[in-house]
Amino acid sequence: MTRFTHPHATPTSDGQLDLDLLVVGGGHAGIEAALAGARLGARVGLLTLDLERVGEMSCNPAIGGLGKGQIVREIDALGGAMGRVADATGIQFRILNTGKGAAVQAPRCQSDRHRYRQDATALVRAQPGLELIAGGAQSLLLSRAEDGRDWVVGVRTEAGQEIRAGATILTTGTFMGAVMHTGERTEAGGRVGERSVDGLTQSLTSLGLTLGRLKTGTPPRLDGTTLNPERMEEQLGDATPQPFSFTAPEGIFPPLPQVPCHITYTTDATHRIIADNIHRAPMYAGRIKGVGPRYCPSVEDKIMRFPDRDRHQIFVEPEGLDTNVAYINGVSTSLPAEVQEAFVRTIPGLEEARFERFGYAVEYDFIQPSQLSHTLAVRDVPGLFLAGQVNGTSGYEEAAGQGLWAGTNAALWLQGREPFVLGRHEAYLGVMVDDLILTNPSEPYRMFSSRAEYRLLLRSDNADRRLTPRAARIGLVETERGQRVEAKAERVRQTLALLDRERRGGHTLAEILRRPETTLDSLVSAHPVLAGLDPDLIRTVEVEVKYSGYLQRQEDNVRRAARQENLAIPDDLDYSRLSGLGGEARERLSQIRPATLGAAGRIEGVRPPDVALLGVHVERHRRQRLPAEK
Amino acid sequence: MVGTAAERTRSTICAVASAPGAGERAVVRASGPLAFEAVRGLCRDADGQPLAPQGRGLHEVQVDDGVGTQPALLVWMPGPGSYTREDVAEWHLVGNPALVRAVLRRLGELGLEPAGPGEFTRRAFENGRLDLTRAEGVLALVEARNSEELRAAGSLLAGGLGGRIAALREVLEHLRALTEASLDFDQQDTGHVPLKEISAALDEARADLLEARTWERRRTPASGLARVVLAGLPNAGKSALFNRLTLEGDEHRAIESDQAGTTRDAKVGRLALPGGQEVLLVDTAGIDPLAEGVDAMAQDRRDLEWERADLLLELVESSGNQAASDNPASGPGIPRLIVMSKADLALSPHDPGGRLRVSSHTGSGLTALLAQIEIRLGLATQDDTPSRSNSGLERQLSERHRKALDQGLQELAQAQALLGEGAGLDLVAEALRGAGLALDRITGQTTPEDLLDRIFSRFCLGK
Repeated sequence: MTRFTHPHATPTSDGQLDLDLLVVGGGHAGIEAALAGARLGARVGLLTLDLERVGEMSCNPAIGGLGKGQIVREIDALGGAMGRVADATGIQFRILNTGKGAAVQAPRCQSDRHRYRQDATALVRAQPGLELIAGGAQSLLLSRAEDGRDWVVGVRTEAGQEIRAGATILTTGTFMGAVMHTGERTEAGGRVGERSVDGLTQSLTSLGLTLGRLKTGTPPRLDGTTLNPERMEEQLGDATPQPFSFTAPEGIFPPLPQVPCHITYTTDATHRIIADNIHRAPMYAGRIKGVGPRYCPSVEDKIMRFPDRDRHQIFVEPEGLDTNVAYINGVSTSLPAEVQEAFVRTIPGLEEARFERFGYAVEYDFIQPSQLSHTLAVRDVPGLFLAGQVNGTSGYEEAAGQGLWAGTNAALWLQGREPFVLGRHEAYLGVMVDDLILTNPSEPYRMFSSRAEYRLLLRSDNADRRLTPRAARIGLVETERGQRVEAKAERVRQTLALLDRERRGGHTLAEILRRPETTLDSLVSAHPVLAGLDPDLIRTVEVEVKYSGYLQRQEDNVRRAARQENLAIPDDLDYSRLSGLGGEARERLSQIRPATLGAAGRIEGVRPPDVALLGVHVERHRRQRLPAEK
Repeated sequence: MVGTAAERTRSTICAVASAPGAGERAVVRASGPLAFEAVRGLCRDADGQPLAPQGRGLHEVQVDDGVGTQPALLVWMPGPGSYTREDVAEWHLVGNPALVRAVLRRLGELGLEPAGPGEFTRRAFENGRLDLTRAEGVLALVEARNSEELRAAGSLLAGGLGGRIAALREVLEHLRALTEASLDFDQQDTGHVPLKEISAALDEARADLLEARTWERRRTPASGLARVVLAGLPNAGKSALFNRLTLEGDEHRAIESDQAGTTRDAKVGRLALPGGQEVLLVDTAGIDPLAEGVDAMAQDRRDLEWERADLLLELVESSGNQAASDNPASGPGIPRLIVMSKADLALSPHDPGGRLRVSSHTGSGLTALLAQIEIRLGLATQDDTPSRSNSGLERQLSERHRKALDQGLQELAQAQALLGEGAGLDLVAEALRGAGLALDRITGQTTPEDLLDRIFSRFCLGK
């Protein structure tokens, strides 16, 4: 096993550090961070406020979706837990966007909220080298190193305990400086019934980090037995459900019984009640300072911003098999309880609804992610990594992906190994991390496939071939699984070669398959030479053939950008001394200090001539440092 | 051909390396991994075979411009012994703008890209050809070229293309927002857009882009020659001067008449300058702000000629009582030279303001006029005047613009075809992104965030 070194952490009295890696927070980011660290051989502690809420789905009981389903597949391909837990606890599976092209199709499922938490907790407990610790973090433990910088060497808990670790990953979600709003009522806390963590904010501020404030919200939960399904449209899952995980065991999928969702709509009466009470919504009364997401607006936002729409769609989603609670997706709100009751009862099917819990908005601190490096380490504070909603993102999938990324990189850093950073052309995770670092989010960051310029290469069907062999190389997944995926990739290559070679009536099979009306299934039945392809292979080969010209073009673009992408900018480059840079470019570059010329070019306000100039300066800088050469 | 994998993935660039306008010879330079292929694709040896140069040297070749062959000199400098340390080819051609254009077009077909400002020099530096002290010079050059290009691009865009591109971008980005919203939100969600709506927006975008390209083609000269455009009030003597100056035997002689307003359409002729260079001389309709009907069309044509002028030759009658500054021809940004015409009819032999006086009738002052034109266009060899024309750079830029517009059109046609045959919307979106990137090459960039802004301002999204 690779040795872990902690050059700046002070050992405790018995001469031992408590841990290699301490993860603060037991949400989706924290779980993946802790599991990844442990898989790489680190002794990991997972500190969480409530041992019963590890893997809690704070918002909607669903995993995946457009842009997000691809992330879950990537997490799975890298050995993460989310896909497996979702498969085991899903109660309705659908592939979205089936009519719109392979690159944008994505899996999504409704989850049994309670079972998801149970399964996630069980995985964490079963992981060797990973220890669950109950408690809240009060402050960061610092150690002044020889270079004059403060290194983070663990945390002090609210109970006064010091937990020392070589690296600390904060995955505190919405719990830092959290305030919940329901109408005029305001209370501290990151989730109903749970409290806020307030000490950490001060710790981070005193390290010189810039924090911001964001807002998100949830809809009411209703008693499902009081709803009338006759008045709503039924929505079923796919007839042949497909799992998230590439390692899903055959034959027994899905393991849980499947249930329907229901669709209904707001009415004129709903809109009138909300408009009449809009002054009581915290956002409109000016009590909330944080910025909410545009893609998941509250129902009051929908009605105020789109007054010409006569109705808005609502999904009634069951929260599990053993509960009657229904999640009312589409009416996130922070209006007062009595207004929520009034407007919900104007919605067909919900007329008799009994409330289990009212909707609320939550405001929380996040850390401007431009202060991170591409490993999700805080740039100027060695030993500290950040992942998940604390970086200004939204969504379980985005959080889990960052957790896995940060856990992996923290462990590699402690081992003195190369960072594991995926590029924008390699993974949605790479797009997300790059976006976070180069653009400070003005709203909670959610993945969209339109953010990925190499979207055609980043499909959910090829996530394993893209990532699993790489994960195996660093020890994040078992060698054997890596080999299995390499073998699959080889079968894909051979099948592609076969299709290029075999001719029928003057055309290769690949050419025939490229015609829009042909499917690989129809070819397989017509040509015995193709017999015996498994369905998984057929899906992926078909995409590779039909998209071949476009895939080639994107790959060419990747290659063309590679030079600029790989040209490293020295970390200590003084932008104020570079003549010729535009004013805005200079300011943004000084603030973000991009690691490569490629990253510099993606920063808003940095124009192509700025990048060209920077390229020349970087080259000059590099040469000045080399010994004189003839 | 040698080169590491990294070098091979670099683009190959080409550009005219000689001064703008028609000289006795023109030099086209190419640098990069495809230079060798470009030589093979373009040059024939004495036996009519594709030329495969064996090492550094000079070759007498025939250049195949796609229509016929022309004699040329090829200088072949394989990397790393060349200026850029890449493979470099230089074609020394007869100074015929049409031939130069054909060669550039051919190189484009072979996969070469137009060089950006200072790009040869930058490559030379990046590839270690220049030392540190010279690197400072490169920086100054790149900076200067950037601001020069910005200025030139600015003046081009102010000429009407900018407005068209802005309108076009609006249409295209609306289309992209529709498509991306449809991809990023499920059929069940409100972001989903019916294909019919996307298809209609696509038709509109393509029609607009086609219009912009047609406009840009008409606006920019078919020739690489600098344009000197005659301007002035009706009957200021423009046509007389045009006929006096243009070469014998030119087809486009202006109709000379002393009835004011005779010249309705623009006439174009060649003008030989003392240094041996040629420029185009353009005669336009006289300025008449009250023009209507056919005359108004002539006025439009005239405005177009002014926009593409490298130099306005503004004629004012020596005998007249109109001051040059009253002349509405004085558009901003276009270099102009005021000339007092009909010197033979003037009351006094010299212009009191010391301005140039010419007579098309007697020929007096014409030699001085030609020398002035040469200096103002920056074509004179002893050129040290600061008001040098930007015409060469502008011409290169407008060539780039046209290429970008062509590519945008190609991408949109592809998107239409894909939509028509029922291919995945993700592929349609890819073609649309290509069209957006083509426009980016003319004006700034569109970020994914811009696109999301559009999506969210139009759709009420989110479960």
